[in-house]
Amino acid sequence: MKELNINGAVMKCYPLCPAQKLHNYTLYFCPAQVLCIGTGLYVQQDIDFNLLREAIRQSYERFETMRLRFTKDENGEVYQYISPFEEREVRFCDFSDWKEEEAHKEMEKWTSVPFERLNKPMNEVVMVKLPDGFGGIYLKVDHMTMDSSSIVGFTKMVLEIYCSLRYGTEMPKPMYSYIKQLEKDLAYEENSKAKQRDEQFWKEEMECENEPMYTDFAGQGRLLTQRRENNNPNQRWATVISQSPVASISVYSLEKDPSKRLMDFCEEYHVPMASLLLMGMRTVLSKFNDNEEDVTIKTCIARRGTLSEKYSGGTRIHFFPMRTIMKPEMTFLDGLKMIQAEQSRIFRHANYDPIEYTRKRAEYRKFKAGASYECMSLTYQPLTISGDRKEMPDVPYKSFWYTNGVAGQPLYLTVMHRPEDNGLNFNFEYRTDAVSAQEMEYFYYYLCRVIFRGIEDTNRTIGEILEMI
Amino acid sequence: MLEKIKEIVCNYVEYNPDDITAETRFIEDMGLNSYDFMCMLGDLEAELDVTVEEAEIINIRTVGEAIAYFESLKD
Repeated sequence: MKELNINGAVMKCYPLCPAQKLHNYTLYFCPAQVLCIGTGLYVQQDIDFNLLREAIRQSYERFETMRLRFTKDENGEVYQYISPFEEREVRFCDFSDWKEEEAHKEMEKWTSVPFERLNKPMNEVVMVKLPDGFGGIYLKVDHMTMDSSSIVGFTKMVLEIYCSLRYGTEMPKPMYSYIKQLEKDLAYEENSKAKQRDEQFWKEEMECENEPMYTDFAGQGRLLTQRRENNNPNQRWATVISQSPVASISVYSLEKDPSKRLMDFCEEYHVPMASLLLMGMRTVLSKFNDNEEDVTIKTCIARRGTLSEKYSGGTRIHFFPMRTIMKPEMTFLDGLKMIQAEQSRIFRHANYDPIEYTRKRAEYRKFKAGASYECMSLTYQPLTISGDRKEMPDVPYKSFWYTNGVAGQPLYLTVMHRPEDNGLNFNFEYRTDAVSAQEMEYFYYYLCRVIFRGIEDTNRTIGEILEMI
Repeated sequence: MLEKIKEIVCNYVEYNPDDITAETRFIEDMGLNSYDFMCMLGDLEAELDVTVEEAEIINIRTVGEAIAYFESLKD
């Protein structure tokens, strides 16, 4: 921690934690809008916007990381601090006489406008009125201050305070301190015993004898082209960053009943949903890459275990590679259990700085900048923006995640539950230079085929599934 | 050991420690997810200054099984 003078006031400023460094790193090869996350939660009810404004004001005060800002020290190093609470204007936008689709397009545009990075608020809340009697809030945050868990937490807080003001229900519990949690994370970074243990784990993972193999959702084209360009027929990695990071989003909804079948399966076999999704994804990647047995996917780890981690806001996501090597004779269930065990192993070492890992791996494998073995990542988000809806259980809800228009890597798959029926939505955010909407649809189609062929007969082998689909 | 587990697990979930018995299941009853569970076991490992086998701990389901496993490491 160091004290810095910011606009005449001395503020306690802290270094970035590894999760923030991960986002900051993206700015080296993407425009700043890549860090914008836009969401909306709307209810079909006659909203009292004065009360909603007051609920937002109180939430700003309670939720520390909505007041998180960045600054630079005399050496140009980025630091963070919590600015004191101050009254902020909350905009109101009435889209009630617009076509709903146009209203969402407008909010997508808002999401693509980056925040000024130093000594300014890193979020904005707008009160919104939509057609058909829906109204609520649009929230835009910078990813260096909040991740999806924090966004869900903040939105839920606004809703709870609004209901408390309007209906006299209970106010939300106070948050845990972000700064105390940050101090714990920074203490880990100070060459702690835990960090040394994790460093050793990732070193051994990285230095394994057999090098991983790059597999791509669009087949082997990218790898084969780069092998030719580099005159290296044995190259097993590929450069995945792009000069044109323009992105789009495709959302596919798996109906309520089949989604429930997946959830019931996970419960019966005691496997996490993320493991099942990863098993499906790696098998599709295998199919698209000449039945490759060695497939690696980036897995997103939310790192919110303790209550103080869960309820202190901020951004805590780390990404690590999840490597799977599966022979065609292996059964679907054995593959699934292997992924579950691998995930558990990674969880134990997930506090390690993912940028440090990436840098060391590039050095060790003599990569080009921006090269990787992974073409895509998976985030499974069990929480919904609307939370458990206990405050207004009978009121129809709509929730949205808006694209910011750019993406660092070729494809991010985020799977989350729909608030209205708990079915699964598959959000594919993809770089348009790497893949088309039609190819995404294709990928989703195969993903569902693999997963359902796998769960209907767990003794079916991977080879059999690859042949069936 | 039971008291130690109660203390640690209640850092992860809001659960009445008096309701925790050897039969209580970490995931199904107390609502831990697999990340919480692995971190909680990591806290126990650090607290008891032992080293767990990753392949073995993923099979632990109940508080009683955790007690038996960690007791065996101390022996």
